[in-house]
Amino acid sequence: FEGVFVNQGKNSLTDGVINRSKRMMLDTLGVGLLGTRTAVFNKALKYSQLFTSRERSSVWGQSDIILPPHYAAFVNGIAVHSMDFDDTWHPATHPSGAVLPALLALAETLPSQPSGLDLLLAFNVGIEVQGRLMRFSKEAYNIPERFHPPSVVGVMGSAAASAKLLGLSPEQCIHALAIAASSAGAPLANAATQTKPLHIGNAARRGLEAARLAQIGLKGNPAILDLDRGLGVYYKDYSPSAMADSAVRAYKWILEDQDVAFKRIPAHLGMHWVVDAALAAREKLQNAVGKFDLSQIRHVTLRVPPSKYVNCPLPATEHQARHSFQFNACTALLDNKVTVASFGDAQIGRSALKELLGKVSLETPEDNLPSFDKMYCEVEIATHQGPSYTARCDTFYGHWRKPLTLKHLVDKFSVNASSVLCTEGVEGVIDVIGNIERVADCSILGSYLRMTSNQEHLDRMRIL
Amino acid sequence: MPHTPPSSRIPAIFKRPLKAIRPVWAARAMHKSAVEVLKQPVPEDTVTASFGKFISELKPQHLSPVVLHRSKRMVLDSIGVGLIGSTTDVFELALQHCQNMYAPGDTSSVYGHRGIRLSPILAAFVNGVATHSMDFDDTWHPATHPSGAVLPAVLALSDMMPANNKPSGLDFLLAFNVGIEIQGRLLRFSNEAHNIPKRFHPPSVVGTMGSAAACARLLSLDPIQSSHALAIAASLAGAPMANAATQSKPLHIGNASRLGLEAALLASRGLEASPLVLDAVAGVAGFSAFYEDYVPQPLQSPGNDSHMFLLEEQDIGFKRFPAHLGMHWVADAAASVHKILVGVGPGTVSPAQVEDILLRVPKSKYINRPFPESDHEARHSFQFNACTALLDGEVTVQSFTPAAMSRPDLHALLSRVRLEHPNDNPANFNRMYGEVQLTLVGGDTVKGRCNTFYGHWRNPLSNDSLRKKFRSNAEVVLPSEKVERLIEVVEDLDQLRDCRNLLSQLQ
Repeated sequence: FEGVFVNQGKNSLTDGVINRSKRMMLDTLGVGLLGTRTAVFNKALKYSQLFTSRERSSVWGQSDIILPPHYAAFVNGIAVHSMDFDDTWHPATHPSGAVLPALLALAETLPSQPSGLDLLLAFNVGIEVQGRLMRFSKEAYNIPERFHPPSVVGVMGSAAASAKLLGLSPEQCIHALAIAASSAGAPLANAATQTKPLHIGNAARRGLEAARLAQIGLKGNPAILDLDRGLGVYYKDYSPSAMADSAVRAYKWILEDQDVAFKRIPAHLGMHWVVDAALAAREKLQNAVGKFDLSQIRHVTLRVPPSKYVNCPLPATEHQARHSFQFNACTALLDNKVTVASFGDAQIGRSALKELLGKVSLETPEDNLPSFDKMYCEVEIATHQGPSYTARCDTFYGHWRKPLTLKHLVDKFSVNASSVLCTEGVEGVIDVIGNIERVADCSILGSYLRMTSNQEHLDRMRIL
Repeated sequence: MPHTPPSSRIPAIFKRPLKAIRPVWAARAMHKSAVEVLKQPVPEDTVTASFGKFISELKPQHLSPVVLHRSKRMVLDSIGVGLIGSTTDVFELALQHCQNMYAPGDTSSVYGHRGIRLSPILAAFVNGVATHSMDFDDTWHPATHPSGAVLPAVLALSDMMPANNKPSGLDFLLAFNVGIEIQGRLLRFSNEAHNIPKRFHPPSVVGTMGSAAACARLLSLDPIQSSHALAIAASLAGAPMANAATQSKPLHIGNASRLGLEAALLASRGLEASPLVLDAVAGVAGFSAFYEDYVPQPLQSPGNDSHMFLLEEQDIGFKRFPAHLGMHWVADAAASVHKILVGVGPGTVSPAQVEDILLRVPKSKYINRPFPESDHEARHSFQFNACTALLDGEVTVQSFTPAAMSRPDLHALLSRVRLEHPNDNPANFNRMYGEVQLTLVGGDTVKGRCNTFYGHWRNPLSNDSLRKKFRSNAEVVLPSEKVERLIEVVEDLDQLRDCRNLLSQLQ
């Protein structure tokens, strides 16, 4: 395993992988910047400011706050996942948020600044390791029920990526992974709560920590990936396999075969299907009847895959709302769109929305599998007048089978980043990431991430 | 004297209560799983809420004399092993890490290192590492190392509290006991927990929760914040057994301590998490994620009467030498064989006399190590501990030094060992035994068996023995006056008005 990422030279990155991973980095930075305005981020930041250190790393979207690198990785990771707006992969996890914050925080502490290509390579190592580990278990292919995947594979990816950037030896890399394994595993029950973003924040920071500890010689179990009582403890079925010999010239990256999904809505991935289906059903109704009117609706049936933690008939918090088929479907019907603004307290509390929620029922058909690769959502609107209007979504726009265009990806980033950075910062980041493989010194990225707008200085304390 | 809760720089957060879900299903039939989800329990009925309430409402008067006595023994032993542990390589590494990554904080003391202070989280971390660095710390049934996860965090937090409002000795003991009790309660939620672990290292699972509970108590968090502290801690729990018998194992305790403290601090700042983390919810795992079988029970709040602490019913085991608990049985069995042999012939046992050594022990992969290569491995090796005791008549701190480990006589004995796992010897610290059967050249056999080693909860160390262990550990890093003062201070801990007297003696 370790041989793979130590020996990966920069020319092993193919164009396909470079392109896809740059998209991931851009999207992650955008959602992270937007996320620095959330309540959970602010709590974590206040907490983290208890600590000082000689080494300093930036907090995204803050022009003058610095933190010890581990805590910078922590809070930036939390920002990335704070609104459930970050990327998702298959098998299921949120790969980038666990890796990028750790790498950027680490990069700022290194005596000689890594190049953009160094950063890109380390990033891809962190993603690849996560992908490989998830393929050790069939359980990993379905929507999770026990452990939240970023807390299991994310910390391993962060350790691997950090180890790569630090230039650790193969043996040290093994130990970084072993140490990280003892920091893995958070239960799913904290999903749909304010603590969920910490799973990504902790994955980033503890993976970084594992690499730093390995660097100064701490050792763990060198067979950590092989043993059932190693990483296998997080899975009911676990069959590890060795990575292909890296000496072979063309390394096959998973990212080449399996793209990620980027979200259009800051909510759990499953919500994207139900929203697209609801919008389509709404349009059918509108086309048939001439205008859309809430009072026409007698009942709404959602046909979704079975997954308890995203089945929430009447969410009370934004976190619950982001994990509710019912809420997202109804918002789509009510507003003809679901956006960042849909999850504010006022929006959640609307009486028209609650009334509509009261008309919703869920069904979990046998053929609707709890897997992000196979699921679908169907929305059926039954009207008082008689006819029903049904629409189905198999693949939402943004899914890996139907990826966002570059323009839409950059638009998403611009909208997110502009809430925090000035125009120069927004465009600077787009430019640097777009050309990252040619950037000589990646510290330029850090400076753009700190270019807050004037409005930002005034609004520093505003909480979403 | 009335006790006022420590004045918080950390404001209590008002939390709006969870709304009960109104039944909203339509007249037509609904899928069963959706109906189940609608029937949400009222918050007060949940196991999670009962734990939050217990932590918040427990008072010093609920501590019985037996619990006070036993927990003070635990505090003393834990400090002693922490002090000697502060001389190990793994501790040095952890300390270096903290000092590299973070500038010197000046808040919380580090065991045995005068002049070094760290921020509370990091002090809890390194002191926890020290405590478990030599596998010398206490063990409970069901299996975990309870004190090392809790004491460092409580000490670090006490150092953090403002000078004019330090906890009293009784507050300190109360928080400590909350941390122990919560661990015991959680371990009883699962049958799997009663046996020697195979998947997750128990301190990393329940230790983190215990630390969070203890710190929540010391911070005087309200019931809801206390339950959030537990839930936040759950997302920080869990490390696999594979790292036992490696240099990383002590970090399990260090991390349990610091992450539990962190969870409590985050909860005090208002961070919220799952209100059902301890409850069993089908399809969404909470704390249950760490167990194959899981049946939680609510915890009764003490009210006006006393509370029956688990520590009262089930005492702790203290180790006489720094190795995994299972080693103590084979060591005592081998020591009795040594005594027989030495009594009869020359003063030492010579490998030349020995044809075969048979150990009858429970089946447990991570303590079956024929030829350990590091001290961490040696502390987790039936074979090593049996042979050391055969050779020397005992196992001590010194038995794990590189010199002792590389003795040719020892290696000669090790190569003659085989293991058997009788059916009646379960992998369970309450029921296992250790048997050593030596076959001498010439055919005679000598047998030794230990059912209950001295130090086990069925045969607890006397107060004298415990203090002897403490002195021998603490004197490695502290001058004798401090050592004796520590013994006195812990003995009178429940009478202490201000726990600074304890805190100042640790370095």
